[in-house]
Amino acid sequence: MIDIEAIRKHWHPIAASNDLPLRHVFHAQVLGRELAVWRADDGNVNAWENRCLHRGVRLSIGVNDGTELVCQYHGWRYANRTAGCTYIPAHPADAPARTICNNTYPVKEKHGLIWCTELPATTEPLTLETADKHIFTPLFAPSVNATLAQTANGLMTHFSVATLAGVNPVNKPLRRINDFTLSATRLPDEVDHLVLYLQPANAGRTIVRGAIATKNALQGIDKIRLLKHYSVALNTCRRKIESIVVQQPAPTDWQPMIKRVSEVNSTMPEQTVLTSHSTLRLQVTRIDQVADAIKSFRLESISGQLPSAQPGAHIDIHLPNGLTRQYSLINGPGQTDHYAIAVKRVTDSTGGSEVLHTTLKPGDVIASSAPRNNFSLRRDAVHTHLIAGGIGITPLLSMARAMSHAKLPFTLHYFVTNVADIVFKSELEQLRGNIHFHTGLSTTLTQEKLQDILRDPLAHHHVYLCGPAGMLSAAIQTAQDNHWSDAHVHFEYFKNTTQRDTSSSFTVELARSGLTLAVPTGKSLLEILRENTVSVPSSCEQGTCGTCRVSVLEGTPDHQDVYLSDTDKARNHCLMSCVSRAKSDKLVLDL
Amino acid sequence: MSSITLYDYELSGNCYKIRLLLSILGIDYQKQAVEFYPAAEHKSDSFLAINPLGQLPVLVDGELNVSDSHAILVYLAADYDKTGHWYPVRNATRLAQVTQWMCFADALTGSASAARLVDGFFYKLDGEACRREAHRLLRILDEHLWFNEQQANQWIVPGEHPTIADIACFAYTILSEEGGISRMDYGAIRRWTDHVKRIPGFIVMPGVFPAGPAV
Repeated sequence: MIDIEAIRKHWHPIAASNDLPLRHVFHAQVLGRELAVWRADDGNVNAWENRCLHRGVRLSIGVNDGTELVCQYHGWRYANRTAGCTYIPAHPADAPARTICNNTYPVKEKHGLIWCTELPATTEPLTLETADKHIFTPLFAPSVNATLAQTANGLMTHFSVATLAGVNPVNKPLRRINDFTLSATRLPDEVDHLVLYLQPANAGRTIVRGAIATKNALQGIDKIRLLKHYSVALNTCRRKIESIVVQQPAPTDWQPMIKRVSEVNSTMPEQTVLTSHSTLRLQVTRIDQVADAIKSFRLESISGQLPSAQPGAHIDIHLPNGLTRQYSLINGPGQTDHYAIAVKRVTDSTGGSEVLHTTLKPGDVIASSAPRNNFSLRRDAVHTHLIAGGIGITPLLSMARAMSHAKLPFTLHYFVTNVADIVFKSELEQLRGNIHFHTGLSTTLTQEKLQDILRDPLAHHHVYLCGPAGMLSAAIQTAQDNHWSDAHVHFEYFKNTTQRDTSSSFTVELARSGLTLAVPTGKSLLEILRENTVSVPSSCEQGTCGTCRVSVLEGTPDHQDVYLSDTDKARNHCLMSCVSRAKSDKLVLDL
Repeated sequence: MSSITLYDYELSGNCYKIRLLLSILGIDYQKQAVEFYPAAEHKSDSFLAINPLGQLPVLVDGELNVSDSHAILVYLAADYDKTGHWYPVRNATRLAQVTQWMCFADALTGSASAARLVDGFFYKLDGEACRREAHRLLRILDEHLWFNEQQANQWIVPGEHPTIADIACFAYTILSEEGGISRMDYGAIRRWTDHVKRIPGFIVMPGVFPAGPAV
């Protein structure tokens, strides 16, 4: 008997490399575990648990769009590499929680085969290596309805191969290398080696993945004749093995453990952890000057896979000088092997952009939070209008890249002072959308252009705005004047330039924790919560990013943020705990 | 009003073959629904007057009344496809191959489709025997397609263009799982079904999912 749990730690072949053409999803099984195996357009091979986290439908019938795998049932999308869910069509306005992440398995590509293991493996697959420089040509891989041992023994007993002309058969040439590998040498027609890797798909089903090694590459009709010759030999063996096995009782299928995603993780927003600020260590691997005074930074993980992000997400970067700053990710869909940000050097900067531009160099390691998304992109809009001012392009760039790839209709209006301020101009021009650059417009002309863009609040059109405060306020006002609903106008400020008033004092009652706390003049609600060890995540701490949002059950908040829309502010159902306070004497919070 | 009428049952793979080719060739037609299950209208007096065999589909085009899905495919391709790709009547080799694989598709109807009738429509047949036979056939089709791939051919009959053999074999292959026949071990078949799904004009039926676009 084989110890199934022990061999889960081995590398097993699950497919041939040429089983995975682009935009295909291969359906594999090893040790009873079903896998959805797909190659992204960047060449990366993914081997995932073959079930959608939502309703358990097989992902092997899903759609590989080159960057993400889309479930056929309700359209949940999962990112290349991370298997993190990036979009849930039934919740178009929300960024999926980072915890919605499918199980992934390590993959290696070697000798024309895709290998997989269930443990984080640092070892290599045990492939047969030959002394000479041989070329391995994969054979057709038949599945045999027999156990691993029955298949191995049957092949040892019955396999024989003659010359192509059908003479001088070599009987029983196979030797056992290990439980999963058989090999033969010096076969007819200048085949120096034959290796058969046995893939234990299930208790009673074994796939024979063979390859022949020759000194010269096989080509044309000779290659096909030889491959057919070996196929016939393997098929003959299979008939013999199955004719015996069919008379014996079939073994019980293996039942692999599927690591469960907890109910909480799959339905709730990500849990709030106070100290989640700098969990990632990122190495700067590339710095490019992408426009006048703008540099882009490519950041790679120094340990393990980076958590997935969605368009509109940002990370908190901890800079060498002790500052923490938020930067939007500009990654395109499926770019899950790095984070990319673009930063403008600002002269009146309090130090963030200055440090990034002058002291950071390739090889440096910085700390960063995992991505957060409070500016998420709906993908159910009839049309999406992206309006960027200057470096405000960054979150919108990621959105434009995603919509271009998904062939969703969108228009990008990119306002800049000079042509030299435009980042990734040639790429933007290639995107599948209407791209308009507006250069050097005065305040009045900008206002006129915004009026032009926002004239018609058409049904199911959505607007995403990011840019300097003045332009953003003007755009939001213009949208309101043209009767756009707040729910269709999404915006992200760089910083909160409004004058904040911390003169009030009030009490908060925390409904869940049963605490009553006093917030005195000069101290923020967030500070008081922290002092009393109530965990609330935060990021910008100036009322722009939306991370420290807290639900309000009773009382009237004094909103001082620039994150919430006027409609949301008027509803008084939540507040930004970093800057907002109370108009009433008391607030009851859902904490 | 189009002159073509298809006597059709939405859940029938044989009717799907005809709908598929009509859609791909862009031919207008009207559907006359015949309730196969549970009403068994295909065995009713009125339908037996149209097809004494009591089988679906039937295609009526003007004076012509033709039954059997493969005969209908031959008729439509030969008469309506001016390119001659779908049914290559002038190429003896290809014509023989198309015919061979259409006969193979009939064997799929007798096995994969029969298993689906057992599981989905409560037919009293030996489901296990149907599944065994279907797997024997699918192994042959898979290996055939794998060798075609090795020679850069993506269709059942090697060549640039698909033929009605692809349509004929597609229907009950893609519906096999409704009869409890997994296609997991048939990688080449799974890739070929992607290709068929990407033919311009491809349509789905219940139980058949569309493929995403190719690169």
